[in-house]
Amino acid sequence: MVSGPDARNGLSRFEEELQQHAESLVTAIKSGNLAEAMDLIHLLHEFRHKTFFTEVGHLTRGLHEAIKAFSAEMGGALEGGQESIPSDVDAAERLNYVIDLSEKTAHETMDRVDNALSLVDQLDAQSARFKDLLSLVGQLEAEHEGLRGVYDRTCALKEESEKTIDSLRTQLTDIVVSQSYQDISGQLIRRVITLVSNVETHLISLMDMAAKVQRLSGISTDTEKSGQSGKSDPIQAEGPQIRKESADIVSGQDEVDDLLSSLGF
Amino acid sequence: MRKDIKILVVDDFSTMRRIIKNLLRDLGLTNVEEADDGQTALPILKRGDIEFLITDWNMPGMTGIELLKAVREDPALAQIPVLMVTAEAKKEQIIAAAQAGVNGYVVKPFTAAVLKEKIDKIFERLG
Repeated sequence: MVSGPDARNGLSRFEEELQQHAESLVTAIKSGNLAEAMDLIHLLHEFRHKTFFTEVGHLTRGLHEAIKAFSAEMGGALEGGQESIPSDVDAAERLNYVIDLSEKTAHETMDRVDNALSLVDQLDAQSARFKDLLSLVGQLEAEHEGLRGVYDRTCALKEESEKTIDSLRTQLTDIVVSQSYQDISGQLIRRVITLVSNVETHLISLMDMAAKVQRLSGISTDTEKSGQSGKSDPIQAEGPQIRKESADIVSGQDEVDDLLSSLGF
Repeated sequence: MRKDIKILVVDDFSTMRRIIKNLLRDLGLTNVEEADDGQTALPILKRGDIEFLITDWNMPGMTGIELLKAVREDPALAQIPVLMVTAEAKKEQIIAAAQAGVNGYVVKPFTAAVLKEKIDKIFERLG
């Protein structure tokens, strides 16, 4: 994220500054100029303050970008499916979409199981009719030598098939019960939605606060301007792009690779 | 157990309501109504014809434990058997539900056999 290189610059600047002022401080003390020494100590103190403050700002922004990126990736993963979700939605909405989608799929699965169960009921009814026919064979068996044993064997087969129907019914019921994953995962996702929303809200207020303190304490006016602010605006990290139709945004990895190779990479 | 007993299933996830309804149907119990949280369940209960309540715990609006307490506090409803079917699995929660007067407690995810067993047990005790 954006905080990486900037943060390193901030820290190395801090070290340079520290060394310079430390030397001046030693010189001032050696020459007995205590007033100048005190000024330098004050300067160092203030500089340390500014540096750490900027660091926290960078970390906050980095975290914020991470959450935005997470939200965009969630969307990207889903857009591969048949239905794509509107691209300008936030993390919470995307997660809600996951809940809705899994709910819909769970119901579709259960619709099919319901259909299958009614087919099983038909099998049961057919088995009952088969029983009637079978008793007819039982009666005929006495009259025809060639039919001997057929009744018993057919009865055994019929019982076997009834057991199969029973276990089929159990399997289908288990499929219905296993759809409860949708409820469990939905509850967990709802918790994550609350977490992400809270973290994002707090981050935004932290960034607001940081900006205000920066303005009030006059931090960054010279360091930021000389260092980075002029050029950093157009390339400031925004996380993965959601609005892909815009001309200044690449449409995919291929376009990124093309762009980079055109730049000699 | 009478097969025409009127049952109210309360869960904010329609998937879970349907699963429970399917399992009840397997037990021959088909007189089932649904509600998606305590707030929508209470008016249905107050109508007076619900004889058995199956409820989730974690729901927006009014939770299952609040619903259970409301049912036990209302003299007209206090006798309705209540089965809690929930992912809440902390001991103190189960104790709290028991103290509030729950008749059975099934932790999600559950099997068909477990749910059926708990329902049978409740009706056995009621006689």
